[in-house]
Order: sequence, then C-alpha cells, then structure tokens
Amino acid sequence: MTGTAGGRAAAGTIQALQAALAGEHAAVYGYGVAGAYLTGSLRAAATADWLAHQVARDRLEAMLRSLGAEPAAAAVAYQLPAGVHGAAGAAALAVVLEDRMATAYLGLVVLGSTAIREYGAQQVQACALRAAAWRGTTVAFPGMTAAALAAPRQQQS
Amino acid sequence: MAAKPTRRVVLAAAAALPFAAASGCDSLRVVGAPPPPAPDVTTLREAIAAEQLMVDRYTAVLRNAGGTLATALQPLLDEHRAHLAQLRSRLAVPPGSRYRLPAPSARASAAVPAAASADIAFLRSAEQAAAAAMLGRVRRAPGSLAQLFASISASEATHVPALDAAAGRAAP
Repeated sequence: MTGTAGGRAAAGTIQALQAALAGEHAAVYGYGVAGAYLTGSLRAAATADWLAHQVARDRLEAMLRSLGAEPAAAAVAYQLPAGVHGAAGAAALAVVLEDRMATAYLGLVVLGSTAIREYGAQQVQACALRAAAWRGTTVAFPGMTAAALAAPRQQQS
Repeated sequence: MAAKPTRRVVLAAAAALPFAAASGCDSLRVVGAPPPPAPDVTTLREAIAAEQLMVDRYTAVLRNAGGTLATALQPLLDEHRAHLAQLRSRLAVPPGSRYRLPAPSARASAAVPAAASADIAFLRSAEQAAAAAMLGRVRRAPGSLAQLFASISASEATHVPALDAAAGRAAP
C-alpha cells in the first residue's frame, strides 16, 4: 500500500465518523422531541437514551478532533421521518433513530483502526438494545440494509 | 486480473487450488500440504459453528417447551436461523472440498436443563457468550464480514433482555 492509499483510508475514517456524528446530532434532537410526548417510565427511558446519545456525540467529536478534523456542527432543526403526535409516534421515532444509528455505526466497523472498529461494534449493540426496547421485539440484523444482506460485497473500503 | 474479484470468488479460488493442482494437470505435482485456509475463512467457519450451536440449543429447549415459553423463544430461534443462513451464504465451499458445514450437534441437545427457569438461564448465558465471541470476531474479519459479525452480535445481545422478559412471564 502506498502513502496515497493511507491518506484515502484516513479520509474514509473521518467521513465515517462525521456521518455517525451527524446521526448523533439528529438522534439528540429526535429524542428531545420524543421525550416531550412521553410520561412516566417511558419518559425516563427516553431521557436516559437522549443522554446516551449526547455521550456518544461527545465521544465522536473527540475522536474527530484527535484525528485533526473539525467535527460537523448540529443543524438548528431536523426533518423527522414522520409526524409525532403522541406516545406511539414517539416510540416509533425512537426506533427509527436507533436503527439509523446502528447503520451509521456499522460504517465504523469496516475501518482500519481496531479501536474505532470495536467502538463501532459496541455502539451497534447499544443502538440495537435501545431499538429492541422501544420496538418491543428483536430483529436478526440490526443496522444491516437489505442490500448488504442480499449480496456479499467487495472488500475494498 | 481484469476485474477485482469478490470475496466469495477469492475464497472459492483459494480453497479450490490444491484440488485443481492434484486432478487437473498430469504434469503438475502437489508439493507439500495444501496451504491452511486464510484467517478470515477460519473466523467465518468458527462463526458458523457457533451459530449452529445456538440453533441446536434453542431447538433442544423448544422440544420440551410449551405455551408462553415456546411463543417467546420461537422468534429468537428464527433469528439465529437467519444468522446461520447469512453466515453460510458468505462461505463459498468448492465442490470436492473436505470442509463440511457443521451438522446439528447431538451433544448440545443432550446438555439442556429440565425446568423452564433453568432453560431460560441456560439460553441467557449462551446468548451472552455468543454475543461476546461474535464481537471478538469483528477485529479479525475483513470489511463486510466484520459488519455482519457486529450486527449478529448486536442481535444476540438483544436476546438477553428478551429472555429476561420471557422469564418474567413464565414465572408464577
């Protein structure tokens, strides 16, 4: 491998971390909305998950800074996947946020750095656990897209 | 090579090489033992064997389970079967290869406890160990295989609270 390939790998790492960070910004915003429609133990769960995503966001920002990159800032507001009008919609929103984050963290699992890979895999687990709690059921392949499951892809990444 | 080969093709070609050399051409002799499989092939085989074991464990428990417990466990077994099928699809076994996919194990079936609460505790610890082992494979696997291992590990981790909920429902 040449220095150019190493440079590309670093760019890929930063791109994947920025994508995960953008997702975490959206998740923090989304849980803020979801929590407003929940009460009691569900509200407590949403608050705990909201805090978990803030911790994950801070961690990604620190990782990006340590690689010399400027972390992407949060948007003022985010387009939610569906309107939230009550507790059921709030739980459905939480499921979507967690599923998207699981996919984003799978993007870290292909990277060259073992530490980032392992962090990504741990976060996929954390997202899957939260998604299962909100969904009320488990799924076979958290974060995997239909395309990724349909055909094994080429390894160059 | 004109095009980049896919992972499956590479695995198949590497595994088929000794057999092609032995049977395809009279003027060639195989020198020494065939090379050991690539580390990622070994890791994938390990993952397949581990997943087969989880399917066996659930199958054995479900053989004696009824009612609420069976209803709770069946979706988890279905997910392990999906994991197994997906892992197997990543391994190209060339015809004539000595490698055999692991068959359902009789020993795993025999090692199942009798009471429902013990069944759930048995599956719970098996899921925890399986999720941790699958997470460990992420480090050793290339790209898309690492993603699959991470996703399966996450799915297995979610089975632990699902089993806890089943234990709560099964308790008198």
